Amino acid sequence: MTSSNALSNLDPELEALKLNLVDMLSLVNSQLAKCKEATMNADLDLAKEVMSIEKRVNSLDLAIDKDCENILALYTPVATDLRFVLASIKISNDLERIGDNAEGIAGLLIHVMEKAEDDMIAKFKLTEMFDVAISMLSDMEEAVENEDTILARQIFAKDEFLNENNKKADSVAKELIQTYPDSIKLILKLFSIVRKLERVGDLAKNIGEEVIFHIEAKVLKHKKDQKKKKK
Amino acid sequence: MNNLDKNRLIDTSFKYFGIACTLFGLVVLAIFLVKIVIEGIHRIDWNFLANLPSRRPQKAGILTAWTGTAWILGLTAIISIPLGVAAGVYLEEYGKKNKLTTIIEINIANLAGVPSIIYGLLGLEIFVRTFKFGGSLLAGAFTLALLILPIIIVATREALKAVPSTLRQASFGMGATKWQTIWYQVLPASSGGILTGIILALSRAVGETAPLIVIGALAYVPFVAQSPMDEFTVLPMQIFNWVSRPQHGFVVNAAAAIIILLLITFVMNGIAIYLRNKWQKKVNW
Amino acid sequence: MNLIEAKSVNAYYGDNHVLKDISLDVEANTVTAFIGPSGCGKSTFLRTMNRMNDYIEGFRMDGSIIMDDQNIYDKSVRVEELRQKVGMVFQKPNPFPKTIFENVAYGLKIQGLKDKQKLAEVVEESLKKSALWDEVKDNLNKSALSLSGGQQQRLCIARTLAIEPSIILMDEPASALDPISTAKIEELIAQLKEDYTIVIVTHNMQQASRVSDKTAFFYMGDLVEYDKTKDLFTHPKNERTENYITGRFG
Repeated sequence: MTSSNALSNLDPELEALKLNLVDMLSLVNSQLAKCKEATMNADLDLAKEVMSIEKRVNSLDLAIDKDCENILALYTPVATDLRFVLASIKISNDLERIGDNAEGIAGLLIHVMEKAEDDMIAKFKLTEMFDVAISMLSDMEEAVENEDTILARQIFAKDEFLNENNKKADSVAKELIQTYPDSIKLILKLFSIVRKLERVGDLAKNIGEEVIFHIEAKVLKHKKDQKKKKK
Repeated sequence: MNNLDKNRLIDTSFKYFGIACTLFGLVVLAIFLVKIVIEGIHRIDWNFLANLPSRRPQKAGILTAWTGTAWILGLTAIISIPLGVAAGVYLEEYGKKNKLTTIIEINIANLAGVPSIIYGLLGLEIFVRTFKFGGSLLAGAFTLALLILPIIIVATREALKAVPSTLRQASFGMGATKWQTIWYQVLPASSGGILTGIILALSRAVGETAPLIVIGALAYVPFVAQSPMDEFTVLPMQIFNWVSRPQHGFVVNAAAAIIILLLITFVMNGIAIYLRNKWQKKVNW
Repeated sequence: MNLIEAKSVNAYYGDNHVLKDISLDVEANTVTAFIGPSGCGKSTFLRTMNRMNDYIEGFRMDGSIIMDDQNIYDKSVRVEELRQKVGMVFQKPNPFPKTIFENVAYGLKIQGLKDKQKLAEVVEESLKKSALWDEVKDNLNKSALSLSGGQQQRLCIARTLAIEPSIILMDEPASALDPISTAKIEELIAQLKEDYTIVIVTHNMQQASRVSDKTAFFYMGDLVEYDKTKDLFTHPKNERTENYITGRFG
């Protein structure tokens, strides 16, 4: 991207910040993908990998904080540049919490190592939930990289799916416990994973709102009807 | 009437008063010029310019007079320009600003106001007698050079002062010495002002009569000067000489000579103004 | 590597003590900014580095400024040579009232270079380095005074570059320019940093934060703080620095 910005020192800083964000998105996404595999196949090693990735996620979080502090102090950015820096601070925060959630899922898997029945996974719709969460993060990665607000808006519908599924998880759990009374621990583990995935969805939705704020200067958080928007 | 009206009245009154004053000077000059031209223009012909002076008005010409003026102009210029400009440059660029230099500055300015006959006496004693130049062009040129030196010095200093210090700073900042800065930047930038001053000084010299009389320029010189040691006469002297003769023919000659002298003066001043304008266009701070 | 080392510099205008015991090192290939309120001594200190204060009546100083292992105030130092190594760009653009070509060639001319070919090469290279070539290449014989303010300043930078200094001092180079010209000058400084060492005095703090690697904060003749620009603007160590850059005074 060639600079028509006469402040030629600022653009490289913004580019570097964006790269860090995209890296962090990609890392967290890989955490979720590994969680999915680990859940399906009871793969302890994969679960441990998720935990070790967490360190890199956290250091990226710190790096992004420092980048933003420096850019604000040194360049007093305005308009789109300013919104980008503000959005980045929030996005990195959200990503850090998604990372925590992924770490949490991995922790659960390590703690309860039984392989889950296919039936349980199907009833909780875990495969679909993982897929949706992973696709949300992939979408966000692309939306941030390409400053694509149309893509960003698709996230709201996907989050709906996760929310809906989360609501049903209660009754699914009850039903499964009756069917498999010996596997309460396992079922509860899967139930927790559903809830964590729902939270991941909320956090990813926040990221979508921040991207739209950056590009369009529209504040969508705390609004109820943004999912209906089609652009 | 109220204040605003009063002020506007004063404004308008002054405008018309100013016009009147200007016109007054112009009108008087015009009258003088017209009189002279009517009186003398018919006398000007090639003979008049090429003839030696003579006792008979019809034969008399201003050859020796205007060649003498030309000689004096040239010699005075050669002597006074380098001296005056160098002195001006030294005082302005090298002199330290202390009491001594202030005294020098005041004295030079005063010298410009000393009556020219005093210079004549000075020239008589120093150049004619002590240096033994006699009543020659050289003595006359040196005397006039002394006369106009203060004018050139002051004009040079003023022109140099008008060059902004940022120019010198820029030159020094690039590692130029003081002399390089003066030679390459300050002098070229002030050259218009200096030149104007020189030409005005010289045009004053052209019209000076008293000092030349004192040092011994003759009224009747029947030959054209060939060297700086020769005796000479100049236009103003010739005019003075003819005006004091009884024959009407000489009065007409005088008028014609005055026209020539005026022509020279106007041309010199015109050159000065032209150069000044050209210089001002080139250098606008 | 330190290109300039100032040690315990004290400077006076008559009885006025304008620089108080300043010690400061400037590293090669960096941009160092001097900031501070009016009258704090930053411009005076800048000018000690190429001895331009020598022309000010009543100026005297003690302490030393070391470049190339020598105190530039030594009697044996020839000040003209010093100024060929340490160039200066002034606050108000001051091109010579000559052509663009003559302006850039001046520094070489006074060093005695007469070769027309060489002069033309150097002029072209310098104008390219100062991002002015494209705008003037067809008009090198035009008067420098016909250029706009921003162009004149870049011309002044070009003529300084022509004599190949290693250090360039800039005294508020953009303060007389409009924002677009200012941005062009800042971009130029960022490019020049690769080949030169730049010290810039500015009263515009945002300019200092955008452009410099290290910043020195002066207040009433004291050097209050001298640090990496990033650190000085994000967490200054001295309360006076913090008060100044947040606009609480001065």
